[in-house]
Order: sequence, then C-alpha cells, then structure tokens
Amino acid sequence: MVNNMMNINKCSRIPVALLVFCGSILWYCLSWEIKAAANAQLNLFIWSEYIDPAVVRQFEANYACKIVIDLYEDEASMLAKIQSGGASLYDIVVPPNYLVPILVRQDMLAPLRHVNLPNLVNLEEEFQKAPYDPGNQYTVAYFWGAIGIYARKIPGQLLEPTWATIFDPAKQAGSFCLLDVSRDTIGAALQYRGFKINSIDAKQLQDVRNIVIAAKKRSLGFDNSVGGRNKVLNKTAALAMVYSSDAARGMKNDAGTFFILPKEGTQIYVDNLAILAKAPHRDLAEKFINFLLDPKIAAQQANYVQAATPNKAAKAYLKAEDLNNPSIYPPIEIRSKMEYLQDLGTRSRIYDEIWTQIKVR
Amino acid sequence: MRRLLTIVSICLYLFLYAPIVVVILFSFNDNPHGASWTGFTAHWYMKLVRNPDILQAFKNTLWLGGISTFISTILGTLLGIGLNRYNFRGKRWLTSSLYFPVAIPDIIMAVALMLFYGIARQMSGVFDLGMTTMILGHITFQIPFVAIVVRARLSGLDPALEEAAQDLGANAWQIFWRINLPLLTPGILAGALLAFTLSLDDFIVSFFTTGPGATTLPIYIYSSVKRGITPEINAVSSLMIVASISLVLLLTLLDKKSLGSFSK
Repeated sequence: MVNNMMNINKCSRIPVALLVFCGSILWYCLSWEIKAAANAQLNLFIWSEYIDPAVVRQFEANYACKIVIDLYEDEASMLAKIQSGGASLYDIVVPPNYLVPILVRQDMLAPLRHVNLPNLVNLEEEFQKAPYDPGNQYTVAYFWGAIGIYARKIPGQLLEPTWATIFDPAKQAGSFCLLDVSRDTIGAALQYRGFKINSIDAKQLQDVRNIVIAAKKRSLGFDNSVGGRNKVLNKTAALAMVYSSDAARGMKNDAGTFFILPKEGTQIYVDNLAILAKAPHRDLAEKFINFLLDPKIAAQQANYVQAATPNKAAKAYLKAEDLNNPSIYPPIEIRSKMEYLQDLGTRSRIYDEIWTQIKVR
Repeated sequence: MRRLLTIVSICLYLFLYAPIVVVILFSFNDNPHGASWTGFTAHWYMKLVRNPDILQAFKNTLWLGGISTFISTILGTLLGIGLNRYNFRGKRWLTSSLYFPVAIPDIIMAVALMLFYGIARQMSGVFDLGMTTMILGHITFQIPFVAIVVRARLSGLDPALEEAAQDLGANAWQIFWRINLPLLTPGILAGALLAFTLSLDDFIVSFFTTGPGATTLPIYIYSSVKRGITPEINAVSSLMIVASISLVLLLTLLDKKSLGSFSK
C-alpha cells in the first residue's frame, strides 16, 4: 500500500508536466493572437466577391499593413456576429441602406471624421445626401444597384420593361421566379400598381397581396437573387426577379441573357462602408475608406465587382460598355423613379402578416 | 422473402446516402449553374487549388484540428488513465459528467462557449473570438471522446503486466514508457483520430467561436451556399467527405488491430 502511494506521487510528475505543456501551448496561441491583433491590421467584414483582391494588396503595400477579410452572405448573420462580440473585432462592415438607421440607433457605428476623408467629394451628390444617412455622418456608399427582371433573349420578341411581365397574367412572358424577400417582392407589386414602395396603407397592401398570391400560383416559386439568376441561366426559368449586380455577372457568363429595370419604378439598394463604434483600428479604417473613394481605385473596383459605383469622379475611368449599360447606370427617367426601402419599425408587422398569407396560400 | 429484404434494404440505403453521392457526382459537372448535367470535368478541383480563400480556410482547419487534437489527446488520455486507475472522491460524478458534452446538443454547447468567452473577455481583456477560442471550444468537446476510448482500452488490459514490471524492479518512468504507453498507444491513436475527425466536421461550435481571419472549411462552405452552390463548393465538400471517410476507415483498422493484440 505504501509502495503504491509512493508510486502515485512519482507518477504524478508526468501528468503535471503534460498539463503545464498543454497550458503553455494555449497561452502561446493566445499571446500570438493578441500580438497579431495589435499590429497594423484592418479587419474587414464584407459580402463575398465584393472587393478586388488587387486593390486590397495595393492598400497593404501603400500603408504597410495587413487586411484580414471575413465574408458573410446575408445581413442577418452579419448582424448576429457583430452583436455577439464581433463589434470590437471588426473595423469595417458593409451594411445595406435599410440596415444603416438600425445600426445607428443601436450605437453600433462610429461617426466618420470628415477631415480624414478628403475623397468624399468624389461621391455623387445623391449619395452625399442619401435619405438613410444624410451628410455621410456614418456611412459612405460603396456600390448601388436595383431590383429588376433578368431574362433570356428570345429572337423576334421584345420584352417590355414593366412589372406586368410578372404580375399581369395577360402579359406574362414565360415562367418566372419571385424574390424570396418579403419587402422586395411586395415592394415590386406596390410599384406595379403605382403605389409607394414603403406604403403602410392597409387597402393598398390587401390589393397587392392578392396580386402576389395570383403571381405565386403562376410562378416557379420563390428563390433568392442568385438562385433565380441561375434558373434563367440553366433555362429552367424564362425570367426572374434579380439584383442588378447578380444580373451583371450572369450576363457576362451568357450573352444570351439581359436585364431590364421596370418603367413603373423599382427599388434602389446601396451597400455602404461603415466603421464600427468599437473598431480596434479606426484611423486605418478611415484611411482605407478614403483610399476606396479614390476615383481610379473606385473604377477598378467597379470593373471587378460589375456593380454601379456611386463615385462620380470614377466614371472617367470606367469601361465604356459598363458606363453605357442602362441596366447598370439607368437613364434619368428610370433613376428618378427608384425608391429606397425605409425601416418601418413596428409598423413592418403588416408586411410580415401579408408575407405569411402569401406563403401559405 | 430474404431476397425481398435485401432489395428493400439496398433501396433504402441508396436513398438515404444518395445526397452524398450526388455531391461528389456534381463536383465533376461541367455546368457551372448546378441543376443539370452537361459533361464531365475535373476543372473545379484545379480551380480549387488556386483559390486563396479556400486554401486559407484549409490551412485554418488543419491548424485548428491539429492543435486541438494534440492537446485534447493528452488531456483525455490523462483523464482516462486517472478514471481507470485511481479512486477518489467525486469519481462517480466525474465519470457521468464525461458524457455531458457528448449528450448535450452542439448548439447549446456552442452558445454556452460563446457567452462564456464574452464574459471572460469583459473580465480579462483577452479571449477575443478567434483561433484560440475556437481551439479551446474544440478541445472541450474532444476530451470526453478521447477519455472514453482510452478508458475502454485500459479496462481491457491486464493489470498483472504492470505488477510484473514492478516486481522486476522497474521504476515509475520505466513502467510508463515501456509498459503503459505502448499498451495504450492504439487506444490513444484511435482517440486522437476520432477527435480530429470531429474537429474537421464541426461547424456549429466553430461558427459561434470564430473571429476575424479564422474561417474554417465548413464555415466557408456554409457562407457560400447562400450564393448558390457552385461545383467548386461541391468539390470542397467531396474532398471533406473523402477525408472524413478515410479517417473513419483508419480508425476501424486501428480498432481491429488493437483488439487483436494485447487483450486479455
């Protein structure tokens, strides 16, 4: 028995040594990470395929820093991530316009110090006084686009640029997909009927609900923008509601497809660069935003992402075929009919109700 | 009757496992937009190797799996030995608590870890979400699996071997290195392989505890799915399926070997 006890004591040196060893490995990892975070490093949280790697490398070289990019695919997961501790890890996020007032209200964004952003003057005037953030207090427009109809060209048939090709059974131009986002699809139907996209009028919404339900029954169902685009590309659908940047990439792959913006009006969306309130590298983040606002850099980005740049000065450097493409930079008469989605707060419940009714019918 | 049973069960398993086969099949599809088959190509695998994001995610996955498996194997083995050898107060409680992380849902474990690191961060200033928190999270769920495997292996060993060594004058170090460790090696290796496979496949714990620059392959796949599944993602998934299955096969091989020799 005594012998056995001795044995345990001697043996316990090995496990103690091993435990200390494990602990030191973990400590090393942790301290290495802390050191890495203290370096000149910019943590960017952005949609995928939304920044030109060459631009990232150029900024890293010019400012002797490193840019770490993490990707998200929908704003819900981005929001969840920054609300659960990500707010003090990431520097720059790219929220869509309707999310900006929500983030500002929750004190998630740092006000931009305009002294550090001399290139702000390059923005188009419209984006300097956008309704969701007038005066660029918190955000700078990054890219913008609109919802439209993506379709396959049929010889000898001209598709009229109207929402009627989807919502009017008499003018329906083949099988189609609706967008699986309540305010996008209901908003399009509102515009088709000549109402405002942010309407909370119960009567108008009832009217539109019936139109969408009827359209749903004739459609191939609901899909996200990329899903709808892919259905047109692989010929399962004739048309689909799609965001213009997705459509641009589709047209590049298949010249037999095209994109139209309906004449009744459509939804404009803007993705914005914003600095988080607890960003660890606020100065570097502002340098980066200013760098992206440089006309040549903005043009290079627009050519890569194939979306519309809000940078007026960049237009001189854009590819002519993009600049003259009415589905990327629409003419003034269509542009003037584009509407921003507004955050309706508690009043958005009526949209949730209608959307549920549409989905179950 | 028996033939009918065979046919029915084959059909059933075919249906259940068809999704896995389809993923692998479509990773060779020439059509970049999914849905229909247009021809055979290995193009997506070539593209994969040149994609820096995927390579980075792959590197992160290996680091995560490597370090967490290494540490959890050491800790789990010690725990397994301790539980098998010694009697101490609270042993019953510890033994059954070993099954907690195995039994509770991943999502609860993940959220608990995330909340805990949040509190730890507020109190200490370190523990920002990232590679280290992810490694810690993985170690947490790996330890019980290693401990259970090692313990099972130990209970199959003859204690007389160690007593004989003691009788012949071996000291504690010698007993550990010459007797215990070689006998335990198959169990430890099996535990480590199991732990590594679990780490490789884990999405939920990683997703909740990851931070800037620490994207793993499962997280990468998840964030790509929203954009429409490209054959490139199918290719990554296929490679992960192949890797997981080979590890499991290795595990069964090892298990057979460890059962064959040394047992009572």
